Amino acid sequence: MLENWTLPRVLPIGAILFDFLFLLLAISIEASCFNTRLKFDKKTSVFYAISINLFSSVIGWVAFFIIEPILPIQLKSELINFIFFNNFKYSNTQTIIILAAFIIFFGTFIVKLFLLRGFSLLLNEEFWKKTEEPANTDRQNWRNIKRAKLISNNLVSTMLIANSLSYTAITFVLLIRSK
Amino acid sequence: MNTLFKDLLGVTTFISELSAGIKKLFVPKIAYSWQTLIYLSVFSWGISFFATPPIKDTIAFFGWLFLIAGTSWYTTDNPLRIPGTFMPVGAVITGFLLSVFAFGQQENGISSGTIVLWPTISALITAIPEFFEGSGTDAKAQIPKPEDRQKIIVLLASSMVISCWLQFYFVVNNWLDKYPSLLSDNFKRSAFVIRTELPTKISPNGALILKEIRPKIETQINKQPWSQVEKWLENANANLVNLSQKVIQDNRLKQKDEKNLWRIEPRISNPNSRNKDEYTLDILSIWTGPSSDPRGYYLKQSCQIRPIADSTSKSTTKKPDEKPIIAEIECGPVSKPIIGLPPAQR
Repeated sequence: MLENWTLPRVLPIGAILFDFLFLLLAISIEASCFNTRLKFDKKTSVFYAISINLFSSVIGWVAFFIIEPILPIQLKSELINFIFFNNFKYSNTQTIIILAAFIIFFGTFIVKLFLLRGFSLLLNEEFWKKTEEPANTDRQNWRNIKRAKLISNNLVSTMLIANSLSYTAITFVLLIRSK
Repeated sequence: MNTLFKDLLGVTTFISELSAGIKKLFVPKIAYSWQTLIYLSVFSWGISFFATPPIKDTIAFFGWLFLIAGTSWYTTDNPLRIPGTFMPVGAVITGFLLSVFAFGQQENGISSGTIVLWPTISALITAIPEFFEGSGTDAKAQIPKPEDRQKIIVLLASSMVISCWLQFYFVVNNWLDKYPSLLSDNFKRSAFVIRTELPTKISPNGALILKEIRPKIETQINKQPWSQVEKWLENANANLVNLSQKVIQDNRLKQKDEKNLWRIEPRISNPNSRNKDEYTLDILSIWTGPSSDPRGYYLKQSCQIRPIADSTSKSTTKKPDEKPIIAEIECGPVSKPIIGLPPAQR
């Protein structure tokens, strides 16, 4: 049954520990952000931070697993170089890293925003019941829309700040490590 | 004496309790129980031995279904939970069976996909009962309470992250399969991976390429007319590229991705200035892939090429001093990996 199973030759323990550390950092920073800016209670904001960060991490990993086999050989070689030997060979890799960092930052921001809205709907008791909207007057309706917009703006800016803060912390850790 | 008797009594009661427990475990009180399903799966497994392929596969399929259903039933009856989570151990076992069934291969049972998806499937199995109310036959679909929803989401997310880590482990080990020369390097500087096996003295595949190129070069140069050999040397770059591609096509490197990362290049020089006709041909195999030293490394094989008068040719028509001049080649051993940039091409 296990005849073509070889013993593990390398264990990516460092990578897993770093991922774990980054998740802890991001979760704690974003939870406090949600707590102070969105006025969630502590438990709810921790839950939102945990679920958003874990799921965005999963989405990021899946994207990596999809992209990794189709990378051109030079980039793949640089990736292996970074993970196995902690250095880069070609000078133009730096531009690609900066570009990738931009894409990752805004990608995670958008993904986290969608996840935040998705989870807030998912936890909402009213969302599951088919509510019959009472016929509002125009004025009330307009007020509701305005309120919803305000909340949504607050959500976007909070998410942006939380994401920036957690990425700043992660970059800081990476900088300390490379010294 | 009394205590011994008591001990003996204790042992006998223990044995009888044990046998009662075993009996209870194996003999179901009613037909509608998890033991029936397990027996059905064993039965179909036995039957499938005697069947021919299409029917065999069908029976085996049902056997799997019975086994999965039986284990999940047994493990939901008395849940033993994994510490720290609300995930029952049973869900983990059922998850493993289910992922072997769904993603395993026919020949070796377990594929990397089985192990990668195991945590996620276990979490899904844990979550399913939360969507039903009541137990047994009169289950009713329901939406779990918000706190339960939070629990389910966090459990599912964390087990998916664990799945991703497992997949990353397989990706990293797969790189070593595709680029075997990496194993000849050291991983000490890496912050992300740990080498588990003891460092062995593996020579990189560049040495293999050079070793196999050598006889081919010897047949192309040895005993060939000198003018032709000089032309070959002028064109050495293209000739070596052709040869190395042929060599790679023939040996075990063919299926590895790393074959594109070896570059074979010649370096031609005149070692002694008095004799212009004597050449040193250094064949370098340069590793352009990942290496612990950012400059990379290369391997070298030196060959001496010189013209000699052909004494073996039996051309009786020509005069003895007009013997044709032919080439002779002498190659040394392949060097150890030399760290640094290869010498410049002339």
